[in-house]
Amino acid sequence: MKIMDFLSKKAIVLNIKSTKKEEVIKELVDALINAEEIEKRHRNKIVDALLAREKLGSTAIGQGIAIPHAKSEYVEKLVAALGISSSGVNFDALDEEPVYIIFLLLAPQDSAGPHLKALASISRLLKDKYFRENLKACKDEKSIINLINQEDEKKV
Amino acid sequence: MPRVKKIIKVKNKQGLHARPAALFVQIANKFESVITVKKDKDIVNGKSIMGILMLGAEKGSVIQIEADGKDAYQAITELEALLLKDE
Repeated sequence: MKIMDFLSKKAIVLNIKSTKKEEVIKELVDALINAEEIEKRHRNKIVDALLAREKLGSTAIGQGIAIPHAKSEYVEKLVAALGISSSGVNFDALDEEPVYIIFLLLAPQDSAGPHLKALASISRLLKDKYFRENLKACKDEKSIINLINQEDEKKV
Repeated sequence: MPRVKKIIKVKNKQGLHARPAALFVQIANKFESVITVKKDKDIVNGKSIMGILMLGAEKGSVIQIEADGKDAYQAITELEALLLKDE
């Protein structure tokens, strides 16, 4: 699965302002609302679902990456927002390190297959240290999209 | 040093998604053994959540777990128990 198939181009946030998990999740949900991927009236329900998932265990997966995610009846198709933080966010990671790259993933109910594939694609994309450094060094959204497109093209 | 391999069919109904992957890694990290997980042509570090997620192992997929080290038997026993839960 290609990242740009589900990452919303308009929901890439280069300078995540908050350093708190809950606020960062809200920031990225708002980015998806502004990108018209989800409806504003469902904001609180979607944020609650994401925070409920975090309560079961942090979605920080190591190497400074977190993938907050939830399934929701208010989401029509698999969609993601991407946030980059320069100061780092406390995501209650197992390794206790702050996170700098946050991929927020929303999926409709009953979409275990595509959801798992999206998680696999994100992990594959971010496994390379140099790629992560390049991603963090991007100065605008367009360079991020170009960088991800390049990786997507490598998939056959 | 013992090296233990086991081929397992994933029972978890949603596959190895983020939560079971995190649980797997938490168990794996209790052991000194080097732990790897293999699916098709991918071999990943069993102590990395990102590694496990990369496999995209769905319910019913077949993976091989391998532990190499003095606590290899115990590691494989505990990891297998987790993978065979069908919740």
